[in-house]
Amino acid sequence: MKHPNEFQLALFAGGDLGLWDRWQVRRHVSRCSHCDGEVTALRTASKQVREALPDLPKDINWNRLAEEMTGNIRVGLAAGEAIARFDRPVVRVRPARLGLNAALVLACATIVFVTAFWTSLPREQAQHLSSALGKIFTSQTGRHPAVAQDDVMLEASSSSIEVKENGRTMMLTHPRSDGGTVSISMKGSAGVRYVDADTGQVTINKVYYAEQ
Amino acid sequence: MRSSRFVALAFLPVLSAAVLPKIDLPKDSPVTVVSADFGDSNETARGGAMLLDLHAALSLRNSSARRIRGITLLVMAQEATPGGKGSVTYPSLDVGPQETFPVRVDLRLLRPLQASGGAPVQIGLDGILFDDLSFYGPDKLNSRRTLIVSEFEARRDRKYFKSLLAEGGQQKLQQAIVESLAHQADRPAFDVQVVRGGRATNFEPEKQVQFAFLKLPDSPIEPTDGMARISGNEARAPRLEVKNRSDRPIRYLEIGWILQDHSGREFLAGSVPAELQLGPGQKSQILENSTLKFPQRGGQPLAIEGMTGFVSSVEYADGSVWIPSRSDLGTPQLQRVASPSDEEQRLVQIYRKRGIQGLIAELNKF
Repeated sequence: MKHPNEFQLALFAGGDLGLWDRWQVRRHVSRCSHCDGEVTALRTASKQVREALPDLPKDINWNRLAEEMTGNIRVGLAAGEAIARFDRPVVRVRPARLGLNAALVLACATIVFVTAFWTSLPREQAQHLSSALGKIFTSQTGRHPAVAQDDVMLEASSSSIEVKENGRTMMLTHPRSDGGTVSISMKGSAGVRYVDADTGQVTINKVYYAEQ
Repeated sequence: MRSSRFVALAFLPVLSAAVLPKIDLPKDSPVTVVSADFGDSNETARGGAMLLDLHAALSLRNSSARRIRGITLLVMAQEATPGGKGSVTYPSLDVGPQETFPVRVDLRLLRPLQASGGAPVQIGLDGILFDDLSFYGPDKLNSRRTLIVSEFEARRDRKYFKSLLAEGGQQKLQQAIVESLAHQADRPAFDVQVVRGGRATNFEPEKQVQFAFLKLPDSPIEPTDGMARISGNEARAPRLEVKNRSDRPIRYLEIGWILQDHSGREFLAGSVPAELQLGPGQKSQILENSTLKFPQRGGQPLAIEGMTGFVSSVEYADGSVWIPSRSDLGTPQLQRVASPSDEEQRLVQIYRKRGIQGLIAELNKF
């Protein structure tokens, strides 16, 4: 059997329930001695309050009194909360710990992804991408890699030719000419031919990287 | 030819003896060093490296009984560039027995501070070509082939200028020389980088471009097909198919490589050489895996649009060579881009310094 709650019993005792609720509670109370006892106790208390009314001060504004009481209760609760916060030992919130872990996981995942992506790329595309990234770095920073040439490179201009390897350089120049003619062999040599201004001799300077 | 002769070099206040080049000629060398001057040479620290600025002026004597037509010296700096080496070649010489001739080596070397104590540069002999086309030397750099091609070109061009002189007198000769001067001045100059291995470093997408070929009627080689990969100002991995249309076996050939840019400019980019064994009527494929890059020199960046190939030299199995004739070189496209021979440049220089009479005197020597 389901009992009415204490609010329903209080309203029933004061005659404040609606018609349908009042009929249901009355029906229950008529069969339930426990609830009947509760209702009797509430009516007795209400009768005692009414009998005590003449002793209370006159002109009491009950609504204002209720609002003041509510306000006091709220102020008290807020003050208690503030004091509790002040007295509580300082506990450092450490989201960084969680952030570091997350960052580590993210970094590992990134490394795995980049490695898988890089190794799955065809060799030429990987080199192309590497070169492009290098160019972006160079253009952004304005810096050039100091000794970053793994390839042997030959360079020829009308004033000199040179072979570069790992940042080391050997250059053949021709200071006694008006400029030369560049020639390139895809086998791995670069040359400049010029006429020596002093002797009139034709001179061909060449640099090689191929094993000849 | 064991090397056994080291030349003692004079002490120089600006260059310590430790960094002077070692000049190492074979014991039976047909040339000997008469003197060596390292005038303005010096070595300075540059960052974490040493910069050796070497200016060597050597005087060599022809100690053989034959006339020297060309010489190639090998310049090595293994400490600086372990895989690289250089050479200095003097073609179009005419040095008689016991005559001396000057040789210059101007070199800059950037080497580590922790370099070992030995001589950083070694100058040796790679080969000498005599007037009877005999050759002396280890020929590590294929100097014999280079010098013989140059000698054949020299003979062709001397014959051509002599014929002009005989047919039209000094006026016709002078006209031809002036045209050659103008032609040399008009030839486009460019810088180029060569990188081992085929890789494009440009952002532009790579495309395959077919070769067009210049028809040289007398050429023993006929290029039948060819392509290369082009990306912006880079050209790499040329692949060519050639056919031997002569009745003699061929062991070496070179295909000249002309590039055209988007504005129609043409220039001789380089050559694609190939050592092969190609019998009469046989076909072969030539592959190279290097990359040519043409850096921007101000103005519009170079954008390669087309390519033309032509046979620039052929060496038969017996060692004789074929080169394009003067009429082949008169083809408009070749005339625009091909550089004059070593001998033609030398003759033009003689004309500039000594005039038409000096040039005629030179042509009449041999």
